[in-house]
Amino acid sequence: MTSQADDLRERLAPASVDEAAAMVRERAESGATFAFAGGGTESALGYEPERVDALLETTRLDRVVEYAPSDMVVSVEAGMTLAALQTTLAPQRQRLALDPALPERATIGGLLATNAFGPLRTRYGTLRDLIVGITIVRADGTLARGGGKVVKNVAGFDLPKLMVGSLGSLGLIVRATFRLHPMPERERWYEAGGLTAEGVRALCRSLIARRLEPAAVFARLEPGGSHYALAVLFEGFETGVDAQGASWLESANAAGAQIVDAGPEGVRIAAGAAHPRGPVRIRISVPPAAFVETHRDAVLPLGDCFEAECVAYPTTGTFLLGGFVRDGAGSRAVATIAAARAACEALGGSLVVADMDAALRGSVDPYGTLPQSFPIMRRLKERFDPERRFNRGRFLGRL
Amino acid sequence: MTVTTASPGIERELSDIVGAANCIVDPGELRTYECDGLTGTRVRPRVVVLPATTEETAAVVRVARRYGLPIVPRGAGTGLSGGALPVAGCIVIGLSRMKRILAIDLENQRMRVQPGVINLDVSRAIAADGYYYAPDPSSQSICSIGGNIAENSGGAHCLKYGFTVNHVVGATIVTAEGEIVELGSAGADPLGYDLMAVLVGSEGLVGIVTEAVVRILRTPEATRTFFATFPSTDEAGACVSGIVAAGIVPAAVEMMDRLAIEAIVKATGVDWPLDVGAALLIDVDGTAAEADHTATRAVEIAQLSGALEVRTPRDARERQLMWKGRKSAFAAVGRISPNYYVQDGVIPRSEIGPVLREIAAAGARAGLRVANVFHAGDGNLHPLVLFDARVEGEEHAAEQVAGEILKICVRHGGSITGEHGVGADKAAYMGEIFNEADLETMNFVRCAFDPAVAFNPGKVFPTPRLCGDRPGTYVAHETEIAGTAGRG
Repeated sequence: MTSQADDLRERLAPASVDEAAAMVRERAESGATFAFAGGGTESALGYEPERVDALLETTRLDRVVEYAPSDMVVSVEAGMTLAALQTTLAPQRQRLALDPALPERATIGGLLATNAFGPLRTRYGTLRDLIVGITIVRADGTLARGGGKVVKNVAGFDLPKLMVGSLGSLGLIVRATFRLHPMPERERWYEAGGLTAEGVRALCRSLIARRLEPAAVFARLEPGGSHYALAVLFEGFETGVDAQGASWLESANAAGAQIVDAGPEGVRIAAGAAHPRGPVRIRISVPPAAFVETHRDAVLPLGDCFEAECVAYPTTGTFLLGGFVRDGAGSRAVATIAAARAACEALGGSLVVADMDAALRGSVDPYGTLPQSFPIMRRLKERFDPERRFNRGRFLGRL
Repeated sequence: MTVTTASPGIERELSDIVGAANCIVDPGELRTYECDGLTGTRVRPRVVVLPATTEETAAVVRVARRYGLPIVPRGAGTGLSGGALPVAGCIVIGLSRMKRILAIDLENQRMRVQPGVINLDVSRAIAADGYYYAPDPSSQSICSIGGNIAENSGGAHCLKYGFTVNHVVGATIVTAEGEIVELGSAGADPLGYDLMAVLVGSEGLVGIVTEAVVRILRTPEATRTFFATFPSTDEAGACVSGIVAAGIVPAAVEMMDRLAIEAIVKATGVDWPLDVGAALLIDVDGTAAEADHTATRAVEIAQLSGALEVRTPRDARERQLMWKGRKSAFAAVGRISPNYYVQDGVIPRSEIGPVLREIAAAGARAGLRVANVFHAGDGNLHPLVLFDARVEGEEHAAEQVAGEILKICVRHGGSITGEHGVGADKAAYMGEIFNEADLETMNFVRCAFDPAVAFNPGKVFPTPRLCGDRPGTYVAHETEIAGTAGRG
């Protein structure tokens, strides 16, 4: 991002929430524009910011504000990494039920701003389902809170959820409060390889038909690009997990799939494989029943053009691709992404290019067709940040 | 806001849109719409309109705006915070005629419904297929989905499954400009800001929902229920904490204190013991093996916590009776007291024992009894302050106690409402948990949707707030200035 580097006048690293607010407030008069950085794991998401005078890094805001194990609620500052948070919670056998990429680097604020997730969303949803309170620094430097520190609360507009996925365009997230979940007594992964897209969909249907309750389900495209390996995680108390595993094996065998009990060791291997990385990353969201069509009309054509890993979360209708443009395919890449996006949008979904190499940037739109509700989003931005000081031009519609 | 004086032209225009039968101006008929479930305050609306379609709703909004009438949306009218309370000279838009289920998509586990569909009817429509809609407010047999969305309704089972906001994924709304806008998407991750998160729980301030897309879940393989009695709410509270500390996430944990049990027994005839201090009604669910295991563990914890007795229903009928007892609690309290005030506050789960003692003391100081029946698993209290309106000063005293209860909840780190909403009733208490900057920020959200404050004025915010002009000048993108790109 060369233009950012050209404009950048200062780097700020506040050591407290109040200092962060003061830094924004002091620069509000001069009309300075800000970008924010946590662990830098999703720093390319969105458009390139138009102008960045100050880069505010949250990494020193790394404290646990309040942890009440008996209430299963924790408040933390935004710069704390997910791994550090989980380490804090582990002695109480509790966790934030979220398993995104790079937990050692990814910060709470960054995860919220980018709505990052992992396979556990199958059961626990995304951060919007886990957050209960938030503190932001507004573009005028004012601190504002929404939600609270109890899990059930309908007082006022839901600012915490509004901030999830807002990419720092409405406010700088400085503190957040989450509901926690118990660490399971037992975890067990099962993997089945060599499945067609139809096979993946059929097995997911049988999961539902048998009333199994997996904590995570994801399908990894195998080398060759036409078949998937399906990974399913059951977790909970030992007897329940074993019973679900047995039922799942029976179901898969009946369907002719070869399932392997990946055991507890499979946890580590599987979790590492759930987040494709690479200079080009694509995130597709479609109705889950459109799995086969999405595979055929978006994933296969993209595979012709990109040397990419593909992981799908078939029960939520999410596909993640990460890799690079194949040798000699550069000229086709833009048109291929456009065609794949058109296919996803026709299915009622979307295709977001979350990261791209220099060759694509400028030619590929990160988001695609604006939703019909976009004028409301623009008015939200106008109210929260009328002078467009925060992440100017980075969010959907170049807000 | 300007409210123009009565002009028969308004009624004629509205009648032309929805038909004369659905445009109510008769004072006698209007009385039905003077309040919702919060019956203590009544305001007669100028006119009530009952549209049948999204387009009619939009046309009605446009007429109301042209005449400068405040607009109060209304669902089934079961809300307990006065969210559908009219304001003087307003038009009430009632969604009760829009009660069709539009589409059932089992493959994607979604349903599209009109806002007037009754909560329980969503689950009924898919029960035979083995699916259900999770949010289950106690009023689920009479409250409607549109109202549930406005209030972000909860219920007994949201401890494990979440609230309305976790289960409504899309909506068609009519904006304050009378435009029809789709929110959410068919995929799990809509682009842009999470407007569904803003809409759900917005108490009618940002838009009128005319269609909703709800997420439906597979019915769990097994549900295990048990009922346990304790010497006091302290032991019952300890039991709840113990179950959670054991890593169990029950589907529901409901607590009733002595007075609530007495009321339920009198009203329903269930054979619950009267000589106990508290009772818990607990559901655990999941796969059969998991539910059996967690139920056994939870019963052990209840016994270790000092349970006097643990009862397990022998069959589905007995289970239903237990739940019927719980769900009839509010009505039952009407049998032991001529009047009562329903409060809705939230506290951290671990504070149940001490908070209930403080609440009882507050009641005793005012000479009033307080019955408690509530969602203990998530610390959502429903103290019912009993009074007799015929006794001079008791109603006022009850209101005072109810207000004091909210302050107790806030002092213990909680909230002024867990599921009934702020509405008109609690707007004055918003300042207890939010400061001026917090409220101003929430007002940014409202103003982005409804800068004229036409929708449901007087609700949620403690003092009337206008939007004014945009705070500052919007800085346009360079391509906009150059005319090479536009917005929206």
